[in-house]
Amino acid sequence: MDNYVIEMLHITKEFAGFKANDDITLQLKKGEIHALLGENGAGKSTLMSVLFGLYQAEKGKILKNGEEVTINNPNDANRLGIGMVHQHFKLVEIFTVLENIILGVEPNAMGVLQKKDARKKVIELSKQYGLQVDPDAIIENISVGMQQRVEILKMLYRNNEILIFDEPTAVLTPQEIDELIEIMRGFAKEGKSILFITHKLNEIMSVADRCTVLRKGKYMGTVEIKDTTKEELSRMMVGRDVSFKVQKDEPNIGEVLLSVKNITMPSKINKKNAVKDVSFDVKAGEIVCLAGIEGNGQSEVISAITGLERVKEGTVTLAGKDITKLNIREKTKTGLSHIPEDRHKHGLVLDYSLEENMVLQRYWQPRFQHNGFIKKKEMRDYTEGLIKQYDIRSGHGPTSSARGMSGGNQQKAIIARELDKEHELLIAVQPTRGLDVGAIEFIHKQLVATRDAGKGVLLMSFELDEVMNISDRILVMYEGEIVGELNPKDTTVQELGLYMSGAKRSRKEKGHAK
Amino acid sequence: MQNNKNSSKLKMQASRIMKSKGMGSFTATLLAILLGLLFGFIVMLIASPANSFNGFLTMLTGGFGRLGDVFYFATPILMTGLSVGFAFKMGLFNIGASGQYTFGMFFALYVGMMWKLPTGIHWIACILAGMIGGMLWGFIPGLLKATMNVNEVITSIMFNYIGMYLVDMFVTNNASMYVPNLTRTGYLPTTAQLPSLGVPNSNVNVSVILAIVIAIILYIVLNKTTFGYELKATGFNKHASKYAGMNDTRNTILTMIIAGGLAGLGGAFAILAPTGITGSSMTYEPINVIAANGFNGIAVALLGSSNPVGIIFSALFVSHIQRGGTQVSSFFGYKPEIIDVVIAVIIYFSAFAMIMSSAVGRLLKKRSRKEAVKELEQTLSSEDDSLKEKTEV
Amino acid sequence: MKKFITVILAISMACFMLTGCAKKQTFDIALITDKGNIDDKSFNQGAWEGLDKFATDNNITHKYFKPEEANDAGYLAAIDQAVAAGAKVIVTPGFLFEVPVYQAQTKYPNVNFILLDGAPHTADYGTFKTEANVASVMYAEEQSGYLAGYAAVKDGYTKLGFMGGMAVPAVQAYGYGFLQGAEAAAAELGLADGSIAVTYHYTGDFAETDTNKASAKTMYQEGTEVIFACGGSVGKSVMAAATESSAKVIGVDVDQRYDSDTVITSAMKGLGSSVITVLESIYKNKSWETYSGKTTVFNAANNGVGLPTSVIGDANANAFDRFKSFDKTAYDTVYASLVSNAVAPIRTITIADATGVATAEELMTGLNLVKVAVQTR
Repeated sequence: MDNYVIEMLHITKEFAGFKANDDITLQLKKGEIHALLGENGAGKSTLMSVLFGLYQAEKGKILKNGEEVTINNPNDANRLGIGMVHQHFKLVEIFTVLENIILGVEPNAMGVLQKKDARKKVIELSKQYGLQVDPDAIIENISVGMQQRVEILKMLYRNNEILIFDEPTAVLTPQEIDELIEIMRGFAKEGKSILFITHKLNEIMSVADRCTVLRKGKYMGTVEIKDTTKEELSRMMVGRDVSFKVQKDEPNIGEVLLSVKNITMPSKINKKNAVKDVSFDVKAGEIVCLAGIEGNGQSEVISAITGLERVKEGTVTLAGKDITKLNIREKTKTGLSHIPEDRHKHGLVLDYSLEENMVLQRYWQPRFQHNGFIKKKEMRDYTEGLIKQYDIRSGHGPTSSARGMSGGNQQKAIIARELDKEHELLIAVQPTRGLDVGAIEFIHKQLVATRDAGKGVLLMSFELDEVMNISDRILVMYEGEIVGELNPKDTTVQELGLYMSGAKRSRKEKGHAK
Repeated sequence: MQNNKNSSKLKMQASRIMKSKGMGSFTATLLAILLGLLFGFIVMLIASPANSFNGFLTMLTGGFGRLGDVFYFATPILMTGLSVGFAFKMGLFNIGASGQYTFGMFFALYVGMMWKLPTGIHWIACILAGMIGGMLWGFIPGLLKATMNVNEVITSIMFNYIGMYLVDMFVTNNASMYVPNLTRTGYLPTTAQLPSLGVPNSNVNVSVILAIVIAIILYIVLNKTTFGYELKATGFNKHASKYAGMNDTRNTILTMIIAGGLAGLGGAFAILAPTGITGSSMTYEPINVIAANGFNGIAVALLGSSNPVGIIFSALFVSHIQRGGTQVSSFFGYKPEIIDVVIAVIIYFSAFAMIMSSAVGRLLKKRSRKEAVKELEQTLSSEDDSLKEKTEV
Repeated sequence: MKKFITVILAISMACFMLTGCAKKQTFDIALITDKGNIDDKSFNQGAWEGLDKFATDNNITHKYFKPEEANDAGYLAAIDQAVAAGAKVIVTPGFLFEVPVYQAQTKYPNVNFILLDGAPHTADYGTFKTEANVASVMYAEEQSGYLAGYAAVKDGYTKLGFMGGMAVPAVQAYGYGFLQGAEAAAAELGLADGSIAVTYHYTGDFAETDTNKASAKTMYQEGTEVIFACGGSVGKSVMAAATESSAKVIGVDVDQRYDSDTVITSAMKGLGSSVITVLESIYKNKSWETYSGKTTVFNAANNGVGLPTSVIGDANANAFDRFKSFDKTAYDTVYASLVSNAVAPIRTITIADATGVATAEELMTGLNLVKVAVQTR
């Protein structure tokens, strides 16, 4: 018999007739890194909630070291040594790192907080596992990566033996991801067991020992990573073959569509400029990618072009027309389509229905309104057409609430809207963030199709695979400047990483001498 | 199989109606009102246990005996309710309905007393003046919000006081409007008073019809026009509306002007109402008190979920409860002040419960989860089918 | 959802069951409050205290009604409510009820109305008519003013002020009585001619304004020790000025000691006692005709005017505590002289000016003032 620390056997969890988990078995060995793979809505969260005592399973049992246990609430889970780093951190923003770590298990003598011992233990732990943190820093002032380390320290401080990571890499830069993977390996070596929830196949291949796959609430099997491939895993997860290589031909490059000249944008955080004198062009029929680690000015460049922020200095020309000072509506009319970075904040009015969202950029056009009255029927027909064309799935078709749609379908809706309206240039900012492989594949195809239709595409992405696969030209930004212009065919991910981290630069900005 | 499909379709249709936004907020409102009534009853029970049952019953039914008055007193709060509710749709909290109401009232009063206009035109001019007065008092906070991002809650609260003191000053300093030894304004000429609807023992007049028509027009504007589409989009998500190129500045100012105009109309409707006493009219007392109708408008708007049609009913409900309360204090051993407390408790607890309606909604959802999950299953299985098709192709 | 419907059903069931036994109460005597509350320390409270005492002593059901809106229509509607609640007698405190009572007296011929400090008339003042079911109660303001002036001078004040609102009959009467009282006290004290200085002023409004406050302040700065503030909200301006000047005020109509510490006494109308007197005529003496269909002036003889002799809420307190020496005994003596008609202050004098504002000479000669020297402004 294998040495399992936690076994979840034949777990079935129903929500009034709907089986969110249907006879699922998950066995976690001591000292292994075990990945839990599945698309959005496959039942991963439900399974973890059962393990944490948030839900009670109808069928099945949970064993700890071979003995059956009941877990009625998260405290029970904690007592059994199970800890979790949530996707959205559960930290008190205005507390210090130390205060957050000891929150809930504050050491005290007669009710007086004893921070000294706690500090000693935290410093020891952080040294032991290479988790660098400043115990006295305030959470809201530290980076996301650092916050994640605090979450990990929280588990260690509570002497948890079973560590669950829920999509831990979604918020990290490539370098931070590498560090995290190292840390996880360290834990495994120590004998701690790690459950790693993700839908990123690369990470699983590089770090996990075994992988359990779920699809639509059902158990698809557990495989040894060394005996499998990315393709097999994705087939198990999605139920069909998924191509990772984007099919695209040589670009047919035309005239300059977008011309950004000497743009300077202020920073929102400090008094420095977030973008310093940046210039570049996007031509018809090419996909230009703005790459870089988050916070190096890419977002500000996009804001300057789309008009979400006012341009401090420089000019933006689209299809020969100076659009620097135009308002957003005028820019839209000039031929700008924009898939925004944050689909909930900018891309959709979540409280509107799908059809209302589909006309967000064009409700004012004569096609959709007459004397100020919206043509409901036209709006509905139009939306129905887009739903078919772009395969947007939702509960009630055009009338479904945008809020109730899945992330992937929300993104599809935005893409449908932005691509269907007349445009010359498409700006796509992180178009695949948080989506599963099926949706990513679809969106990549759409981007390439747009390019092939002779439009210009400006893509901003943090995903190196995406950057390498999709783009025809890569502009790397570092500290507000473009430090490199690369052709994806002639470069490697490693080289790209060097540019992104500022270790290498090749392109002097034209106006740099100024 | 075909049959089965049809019936499940029907079921889905039905559950769609039950779960539609309107229906959901309607049940939430009912629950909120029930909660308010419960608290009101508790206050009555504490104040006078012996009378509480009969008194409470009169509270609920007393208004039916005075339907004319229910409509009459509902008119001003319907207008202030629309004012608050309309601004709220755009994400603006117009707490300044009181000041706009008072300003509208003053403008109407001024035109009524100082201008000589022919019968049939005079009262219309007064109403329009009231609307303009309110618009003016909504415009300034709107302008400050739109151009300098000054919080409209703070400005409009301050404008309540500024408006009230200004109006009191204008009135007391105007010898032809103010009757000093009665410390109130003089009587308006009959030409300035609104035509009565002729309900005996009630001042109910054409303004209630106007108010309901305005509410319906607002409903159409909000739900059928591009302007309403923009307002709601901005109210729901101002980032997305900016992204979509909507003119936030213009819409903010316009919304506050319209909201102010609605509250101003409320003030005009109140002061221009006929009294049924020959030679008499409504009067205004400049005694430095902020108009309560403005604040009741907030409760009315909350209770009506900011939906103009909902607000018609919530204004009627509030007025109904107030009239019932008067009946209770007339016929039972309650002091009028206690009844005032009970009315306030019912109205504000109901409104408060509406704020908490997300909690109420969750309560309801628990019950209908069964249906929801079924539906989800159906969507999933249909997705399954389409997936299959794809793989086959 | 099922549970929710069950709850609604249960409640409506309960409602139906209860409708069967819903029983309304009736109230024989009713008071309609004006724009203020029942504890306004003014007309509402004064009238209600008399009504409440009488009704409680005689075991009669009674209640006050708060109008839904403070205007003629609202007051009339409140009267409707009171009648519907079975009121046989309705007390309406103050002249704001003149128009509503004019309407109600014919609408409800079987209900008795007691209208305090006013007489029923139409909205345009075209017709004054008091029907047989209405008792209009007025007060001898000159006697009240007399008592105030007498008390002030007796207490040692020699520089007095009078600030009336507009020169309407009630205000004039207060002012004339005040001067005559001061004269009488000075004579009793054997003071020299002209030793009491009175500054006499009509503000022209009844409002609390900065102008009125400034006028009062000027008076105080010129040496005036106490001002008889006689004109609605003018009193608030005078009290504010008195507080800043550490000077004194005499209140009007009701006991205004509660409004400001500067108020040493008030020239009151006996609201409570007049209400009791009229109610007695209905319920006890069967002599309603004495008051019905006309205006009755209440004076010292029937307790209709006076200075405050008790403090609300404290039976043992001394209402004369803000005087230096004037006390209850001295008050009783002068009051008795009014009751016995030994002293009869004049209510009207001949005035040339159409607005009713008297000159100093008209006041001096018309009121036969010798000890008191009047200066007008």
